[in-house]
This record gives sequence, C-alpha cells and structure tokens, in this order.
Amino acid sequence: MSVGRREPAAGFRRVALPAAGVILWETAARSGLFSPLIVPPVTRIGYQLWLLATQPESLVEAWYSVARGLGGFALAAVVGAALGVVMGRSALAAACLGPIFSGTYPIPKIALFPIFIYLFGIGSLSKVLLVFLECLYPIVITTQSGGRAVNRVLVWSAANMGASRARILWSVVLPATAPFIFAGFRIAMPIAMVVVIITEMISSADGLGYLVMYSLASFKTDRMLAVVLVIALVGVALDRLVVSLRNRLVFWERLETYYAE
Amino acid sequence: MAGPFAARFVAPAFLIALLALWQIATRFDHPDFILGPLEVARHFVEALWSGELLPHVGASLGRSLPGFMVGSLLGVVLGLLAGVARSLDQLLSPVVFLTYPVPKIVFLPIVMLWVGIGDVSKIAVIALACFYPCFINAYYGARGTSTIMVWSGLNLGARRSQIFRKVVVPSALPLVFAGLRVSLALSFILLFSTEMINARSGLGFLIRQSESSLRFDLMYVAIVAVAVLGYAGDQLLLLVRRRVLAWQDASVR
Repeated sequence: MSVGRREPAAGFRRVALPAAGVILWETAARSGLFSPLIVPPVTRIGYQLWLLATQPESLVEAWYSVARGLGGFALAAVVGAALGVVMGRSALAAACLGPIFSGTYPIPKIALFPIFIYLFGIGSLSKVLLVFLECLYPIVITTQSGGRAVNRVLVWSAANMGASRARILWSVVLPATAPFIFAGFRIAMPIAMVVVIITEMISSADGLGYLVMYSLASFKTDRMLAVVLVIALVGVALDRLVVSLRNRLVFWERLETYYAE
Repeated sequence: MAGPFAARFVAPAFLIALLALWQIATRFDHPDFILGPLEVARHFVEALWSGELLPHVGASLGRSLPGFMVGSLLGVVLGLLAGVARSLDQLLSPVVFLTYPVPKIVFLPIVMLWVGIGDVSKIAVIALACFYPCFINAYYGARGTSTIMVWSGLNLGARRSQIFRKVVVPSALPLVFAGLRVSLALSFILLFSTEMINARSGLGFLIRQSESSLRFDLMYVAIVAVAVLGYAGDQLLLLVRRRVLAWQDASVR
C-alpha cells in the first residue's frame, strides 16, 4: 500500500473536510437558528484569537500552561529515560520495578490530584508533579522495551574491544534506545498537555485551562473557542517540536510522520 | 533476564516492602490526609458494605463504558477503512493526525454548551478521546498488511470484501488491541477529569466531594476504587486479547 502517491484530487480531498466544517459552522452561525452564544460565527472567534495573540496578559496565561507542561515533561523525560534504560538492561531492576509500572499503568493517576494538592499545595508544583507522574509511564515502558531490544552483537563487540560498562551504556545502549525513548516522548507530550489543562480546569487561577472555564462561566463562548484553538495549536506545535528534535538527534533513522512532508 | 523464580518472588517482595514501609511511616507523627494501607483497606470494606461506594461506581461505569464503546468502535472501523481506501484516507487522515496532539478534554466545555451538562457531554468527550488511539492503530495495522498476502488472496480469487475480512482485519488485530488498551486507559482518565470538573455522582465527584469535606477515608476509598476499576478493565481487555489472538504469541503481561 503506497505511502505518498499524489493524485490531482488528493490535494482537494486533504482540505475538503476542514473546509466543509468551517463553512457548515459559519452557515449555522449566520442562519439565526442558534444563539450566537452556542454557535458563535467564525469571524468572531478569529477576532478573539487575534486579541489573545496580541494581549500580553493572555500570552502570560499560555506561558503558565506551557511552562507547567514542559517542566513536568522534562522531569519525566530525564527520570523516565534513565529508569527505562536501567530496567531494560538490568534483570534485577526489571523484576523489582517492572510489575509496579505495568500494574499501575492502567490506573488513572489524575485521581491522585486531590492528595497532590494537600501534599504540594494548590500552585504549580502539584500540577507539575502530576504531569511528571503521568508522563513517566509511557516513557519508562517504551524505553524499557527499547533497552531490551539492543542488538547483542553490538554490545558484545564493544565489550570485546575493551569498553567499560559505563562506556557501553553511553555509546552503544543509549543511541540504540534513542528511537524508543523518542517514541515514548511522543506519547507523553500530548498527555502532559492533557494533564496540565485538566488540572487547570479543576483548580487554578491561571493558565489556558482556567481561561477556558472562566470564558465559559462568563458566557464568552467565542473567547472560549479561541482559547480551545490556542490549546490545540500549542499541542500540535509541541508535538512537532518533539518530532524535529528526534529527527535531529536520531539522524540515522527518519520518522515517518503524517505531516512532516 | 531474570529467571521465572526470581521474577515471581522479587516483585511481590518489593511491593510488600513498600507497603510495609508506608504502614510503618504512618505510625509516626503525620498529617491527617495520609492514611496507612491497612486503614485504607478497612475503610474500603466499610464503604463497600455501607453503600457509599457502589452507586458512584455504577454512575462512573455508565459514563465510561458507552463512551469507550462508541469511540473505539468508530475509531477501529474508520481506521481500518482509511487504511485500505485511499479516498477515505485522504479525507480523514489529515484531520485526525493534525488534531491528535490536541488535549480532547478542552472540548468538554463546547460539548457541554451544546448538549447540556449531563452525562451525554461526558460520554461524548470520552468517545472523542477514545477515537484517536483506535483510529491511528487500526489505520497503521491495516496499512501494514503484507502486500504478498493481499496478492495471494487476489490470486486465489478472493473478492475485495473477503480480503478485507480475512486478510486485512486479522493482520491489523494486534495493533487494534494495542489501540484499544490505550483508549481504555484514556477513557478512565477522561472519566475522572470530567467528573471532577462537574458532576453530581461518580467516583471523580466522590473524590472531590470527600476531599473538600475533609473525609479523607472516603477519598482514599474512591481512589482505590478508581485504581481497581482501571486495573480490572485492563486485565479484562488482555484476557479478550489472549482469546482473540490465540494464534499470535502474545507475550503481554
């Protein structure tokens, strides 16, 4: 089944669904059947989007969300990759930690949020730590499977040539595991944003998630939809950031992403 | 790799050691909101008998199961079809892959606006979130079908529908189950967040309510119930997977 074959109709089909959605939305908004509160016209959402992008205070809210998400993600990336490599290479570590990770993996960690609030306060720390906890799992699990799959011949030949254990870990195991680590990162990044937005919606006085709930509560639905669009764009941008970082670091093996063409 | 003996005993020993440490730690001076594992277990049994827990479990399942079913069914079917039909692929995939990294919970306020604050909006958001992993996995599963298999099928005179049912679907099934597993975990995350944001019943609501009324015993009980539900659902799915994919050596714990 071919991957990137182009047809004349292909370009049209690619934009057909989004374009149809926008047109349908606009006609529904202009038809007068719905209250503009429920279906605000596209133009007003666009205007609010413009306001969001140009006002410094809304940029600060976006910055709060991104900083919380990236902070927890970065923590999980470092700890998770290290744990995953150790668990992939050491039988004892895998036997101790493996069942804990695979056993608590399907449990929604978000349920711990109230306890986190009591332990770490209602500010950013509890949110960052919850992001860390949720992101840790996919990173550890994919890294571990990658660490296990390192080609033995490479490890043996490095050992044969006199490389120390630390050297093997750094120069053989880590590069061989890197594609898996980044696969984990790619799963974890959207999760980080989900957790940030959820925790901000539940309890916060700043950030994009709070802005969504605040706009809804003050019946500014056009503004709410604009914030939703901003969150969507941030999510896509962060994903592309991970992909481009991956393609730069793991230069010997390109990732086939859908929109990287 | 550790032998089966070590793997069987090291992990439970480690777990028990952790729990024992936690239990011992609670003997010392500690804030009210930290309960030892034994206390939590006692409260759990009490809440189970007193009927404080079960209605909320029912309410939660009544939201998560329909959402998961609808979302994953749509995702698997559309993903498989987009994997084999190029026109559908070009129509759907750009939208799906572009909106995939968007946190789906942000659609909750919008859906709430349209269909009200009740269960339907929660089910819709859960279904939306479950759609994505299923679609993407089914899509790649269908596209990863070995071309030689399809050719041999065609050569043996199979019709297109037969090829879809007997070649494409079975070879996509392992990935489909991987997608279902991710979706199931997601459905629980979404369930509890929607219930924490606004609900009058359900485990997420119970956690919030007991937290704000300082009934930490009930909060822990609800959290444990969440954990049990998530774990049980995952195990159930793995069981089905082992049944359905008996022909494939599924070495998943």
